[in-house]
Parts: sequence; structure tokens; C-alpha cells
Amino acid sequence: MKIIGLVIAVLSGALLMYATVDFPAWGDPASPASTYLSPHFIEKSMEETSVPNIVTAVLADYRGYDTMYETTVIFSAGLACFILLRVFLREEPGERLYRHVLTGVTVRVEGAKLPLSDDFERIDAMWTPPDLIIKTVCRLLIPFIQLFALYVIAHGHHSPGGGFQGGVILGASIIVLAMSQDLRTAVRRMREKLDAILCAIGVLIYAGAGALCLLLGLNFLDYGALTPVLHCDAITARSHGILIVEIGVGVAVMCTMIWIYCNLSSMGKYDEGL
Amino acid sequence: MDIIVTLFLFAGLFFFTGGALGILRFPDFYSRLHPAGKLDTLGLLLAMVGLALFNLHHFCLGALLTSLKIILIVVFVFLASPTATHAIVDAGVRAGLAPWVKGDERR
Repeated sequence: MKIIGLVIAVLSGALLMYATVDFPAWGDPASPASTYLSPHFIEKSMEETSVPNIVTAVLADYRGYDTMYETTVIFSAGLACFILLRVFLREEPGERLYRHVLTGVTVRVEGAKLPLSDDFERIDAMWTPPDLIIKTVCRLLIPFIQLFALYVIAHGHHSPGGGFQGGVILGASIIVLAMSQDLRTAVRRMREKLDAILCAIGVLIYAGAGALCLLLGLNFLDYGALTPVLHCDAITARSHGILIVEIGVGVAVMCTMIWIYCNLSSMGKYDEGL
Repeated sequence: MDIIVTLFLFAGLFFFTGGALGILRFPDFYSRLHPAGKLDTLGLLLAMVGLALFNLHHFCLGALLTSLKIILIVVFVFLASPTATHAIVDAGVRAGLAPWVKGDERR
């Protein structure tokens, strides 16, 4: 069986290699991509979309479908991780560990539950106290990380960046919180349910912006149709439309990052994590 | 001016090279973190100061702002890099990895 698989893999690899012979040479000015497509993007993208960053214009406007399905793929990845890893059956432990926050003393309670209070926090056998240095530095850095993420999302029009990168940085800021404190602190900020809902909402913002264009009488994802909604001319509307879908992408990517991290690091139990 | 910038960049590269060599040559996990954490931060400081100075060739407000942003990178790395090294060492100790002592073989 293994040999058959190997033969198939090698054969298809060789076939793909053979097909590359027919490709135009690297940077060939006569290749179909360079004759009309790239010059059009380079010369016209500014006057058609008023977005100085050609990459953003191509990704979110000229090839908006592609990016929409990429966002959907990321959403599916989060969903798949959730379905595969999440443990729903909770086995109630015979004994619970609590930690007195002020003194750091660990208390073991058998059979019963301590009432919820600020003095005691529930811990697990794997629990390790958060390190003071790491905690303080992360507390200092996280606001700047989040600010930078918003900058990256909003600045995708002018410089490298956009929804995917900004979303990843935003998600990373919550993951850093989870690593420097513990998973419960991070989950308290970004609840599991909120993650899942925001994930879907991000995709919905993207697809909804496209559907709104369809509703207003133009093609799907043709942001020029948003003119009456945004009270501006068609080209500015295209620019704003790109920003709207980038925000959708950012929200979806951020929540998927957090969702996948929480499921992976705690093996779907959401108790301790790394 | 150009000479100073070049000197800064070369000094930065010198420390980066030392860091890379150290990571390859040091015997174990903890000692490898030493060049990775220390030399990279110093190399980064020198290289970024060189770039910030180079950026000030045509002096104006925009160039000054860009230079300040470059220096800001150094500030954040100076905060984050020692913390990361500390966290990694902490994790190693908690996981029970014994430090290398003289006479042991390389790990």
C-alpha cells in the first residue's frame, strides 16, 4: 500500500515538474500575466479604487472572491479545531484545589465547592503561579500590541498590512495574555462563545458587504454600489468598501487565532492551558 | 556621517554573528539562550541606531519621526527579549531540565 502511494506521489510530482516546462520564463514580458493584467493593476488601481497599496486593492477588490473564501477557510479551521478537540463531557473531580490569592496558600476541598469569591481562585493540579516579571511586561506590552494591530488593519490602504496581519496581531495579544497569566484570565476577556460568534460575524461582514452591493443593484462585492449608503463618490466608496471587508477579515482571523489556541493548549478542556 | 553609520552597522553585524556562532557552539539549552538573548539585543541596538542616523541624511520632520519609530523598535525589543529569555529559562527549570556542567557531553 505504501509503495503504491509512493509511486502515485512521485508520478504526480514528476508530472507537475514536467508541466512547469510550458510556463513562461520568470519575468517574461510576453507572458499573458504581464501583457495586460499586471500593467492594468499597476496603472489603474489608484484611479479605480483610490487605494495607494496595489496589493490591498488586488486582494480585497479585484480578487475579492478569493479573499472571501480565504476568510471562510480560516473560519472552517477554527470550527474544525473546535469540533475535533473540544471536550464536552465534564468529569467532576472528587477534590478541588483552591488558592488563596493574597497568601498563595493552596487549599484542598473534598466533595464540596467553595462559594465564588475574590479571595480564592480555582486551580488545577497542573497550575503554575504566573511569574511576576512576565506578567508585568506583558501587561505593559499588550496595549501597544493591540494599538499596533488596529494601525495595521486601518493602514492596509497605504502600506503593507491589512485584515489578516492585523487580526493575527490582535489574536496574539490575547494569546500572550493567556500565556503570561493563565488561560482562565484570557477566556474571561474573550469568552468561548464570543469567539465563535465573532468568528462567524467576521465572515458575515465580508459576505454581507458583498451581498449589500448585490442588493443595491451591482455585482457581488462591487463596492461602487455602496455609494448611496456611504454618501461619497463611487471611487471613494470602493476604498471604504475595502476597509469594511478588511475589518471583517480582522475580526474573523483574531477570533479564530484565540479559539484555536484555547482548544489546542488545553486539549479542549479550557481549564489550564500552557 | 556615512562612516559613522557604516561603523554602527558593522558593529551590529559583529554582535549578530557572535550570537549566531554562540547558538551553534554552546553546549546546552540554557547556555544557548545567553548569546541568543544578549548579543541579539545589542546587535539590534547598534544596527537600528545606524539605520536611524542614515535616515536623517535629509533632515526634516518626517525623517525625524521615522528615526524615532526605528528607535521605538529597540525599546520594545529591549522589553520583550529579556522577558522571553526569562520565560524560556523558567519553563526549562519547571520542566526539570538540569543545567550543563563542565565535563558533560554537548546536548
